[in-house]
Amino acid sequence: MQLFGQILVNGILLGGLYGLMGLGMGLVWGVLKIVNLAHGALIMLGGYALYFLYTKAGVDPFLGLPLAMLAMFVLGYLLQTLLLNLIVRSAQLNTLLLTFGLDVVFVYLAQLLFTADFRTINPPYAGKNVSLSGVTVPYAQLGAFGVAVLLAALLYLVLDKTRTGRAVRATAQNLVAARLYGVNPKRIYAITFGTGAALAGAAGGLYGIVSQITPYIGVTLTAKSFVIAILGGLDKPLGVIGGGLVLGIAEAMAALYLDPTYTDIISFGLLVLVLVARPAQLLGRA
Amino acid sequence: MNRFRWLALPIAAAALAVVPWVTSDTIVQYGINALLVATLAQAWNIIGGFSGYPSFGNSVFYGLGTYGTAIAMAQLHWSFGSGLVLGAVLGVACALLFGIPILRLRGPYFAIATLGLAAVMSAIVATVEIAGKNIGLILPLFRGETLFYELSLILLVAATATVAWIARSRFGVGLVAIREDEDAAQVMGINTTMYKVAALTVAALFSALAGGIHAYWITFIDPASAFDPSLNVRMVIMTLFGGPGTVLGPVLGAFVLSAVSEVLASQATGVASLFYGFVIVAAVVFMPKGLLDLVQGFRESGWRYFIDNVRRYRI
Repeated sequence: MQLFGQILVNGILLGGLYGLMGLGMGLVWGVLKIVNLAHGALIMLGGYALYFLYTKAGVDPFLGLPLAMLAMFVLGYLLQTLLLNLIVRSAQLNTLLLTFGLDVVFVYLAQLLFTADFRTINPPYAGKNVSLSGVTVPYAQLGAFGVAVLLAALLYLVLDKTRTGRAVRATAQNLVAARLYGVNPKRIYAITFGTGAALAGAAGGLYGIVSQITPYIGVTLTAKSFVIAILGGLDKPLGVIGGGLVLGIAEAMAALYLDPTYTDIISFGLLVLVLVARPAQLLGRA
Repeated sequence: MNRFRWLALPIAAAALAVVPWVTSDTIVQYGINALLVATLAQAWNIIGGFSGYPSFGNSVFYGLGTYGTAIAMAQLHWSFGSGLVLGAVLGVACALLFGIPILRLRGPYFAIATLGLAAVMSAIVATVEIAGKNIGLILPLFRGETLFYELSLILLVAATATVAWIARSRFGVGLVAIREDEDAAQVMGINTTMYKVAALTVAALFSALAGGIHAYWITFIDPASAFDPSLNVRMVIMTLFGGPGTVLGPVLGAFVLSAVSEVLASQATGVASLFYGFVIVAAVVFMPKGLLDLVQGFRESGWRYFIDNVRRYRI
């Protein structure tokens, strides 16, 4: 039972991080109608940004996170302004292919610049943990989970309360109507994609603290982010965190009761299951 | 002149067929790779180019073809021919099993599912006993570069002939209708799911056969090399570059880009893949209809061709 509790906690802590990954994917998908296949690559880049902030500049990972997010926001904003806005109205095939191309570019740039070595962000408190009635909770994992939930809540507030957030939601619902009310879609698209990239960057940084970064982590994370975004619902940031928890717990349980090599297979099985189980009903749209 | 245009293709194929007798082994080896990857591009063209459903998991069918042939020859001691058949059966079975549930859906769901499949397939195969787990399989050695070259050429010609037939058939028109407007296609009485699954299955058949030939040629396979996800990048880019939804575009794209990447790969690892990524991005923005359309469009409107393409879809 204690083992079960431990696995459950591990799953929840990992799931919060997964939720953060799904958040950026879902935001971009919902507003721009682009399924960003480079999302995992952006997560990977965010991980490297935080890694180098920590190892080269000595910034504490949790303090460096806003900086990494800012850098990723700028990257996302520029990508959308200079590139994605050119094809945002074309057939879905083209947006899929373009983001796929971007994914390839980022992965091999990272391989050339950073090498394929495994990297871990290893702050001094990485090994420390707190014990709650026999269940061990590492501080780093707990911090990552807290940041993920905080960012989801923040995104919810920004979308709900601020003028820009309302403009983003209006654009998602009806581009033409939003335009008539004076929303500049180019700017909103750029801000949305930038925010998506920043969230991916945050997820990547936290992933680097609790796990390992290589240039190749992106593809599976893209697929997982997609599943989580569907599970949670595209326009509900807190729901997406819930979707992340489902996947995190499922993976942790699979690793315990089957075999650690099956975790990716389980999450792929879940992916197919979610896709086949009528995403339209889960989403209430599509 | 136009009366004899149909002769151009058999002549080109015949010219390619005599290559092993007039050139060196290095060129033949390069040729086998180029022909096999052109076959993969042509196969991708059926599902990605005609029906507009981008599969990022065709490497799985290739890998299953590789493993089918390897298991038949190394474990069961069958002949090469029966090995190819087993590989093709595995590839086609996977396309049906996987395609029927996923292709009922529309839009990005298929793309993501194929991406996921490609990412986990090597992990799945690495747990199978008869497939040699992580270690892989060694096939009987057979040194006949010319035979492999001719087999690859025959496979490419067969794939291209199939695509040429598809382009003229009711089936192909149905796929294009699905690409352009799936709702309208359905209203016109096209069984869209069946068409899409059929397209994926044909693509899987040719991909698996290419994998089988490659397995016997290279004589050693393991999960990482058989299910190499970068193969997907190559199929997509070569089709996109040459002209998706055309008969000869993918072959042209594959030959041009194979030559370029051969040069780049000799410089540093990863550079060729990086280059592919940039080409995909540039092709989608500047020449979404590929090289064949570019040649024609450039003749008509010069540099404005690129500007028109950029302007068409920007917000």
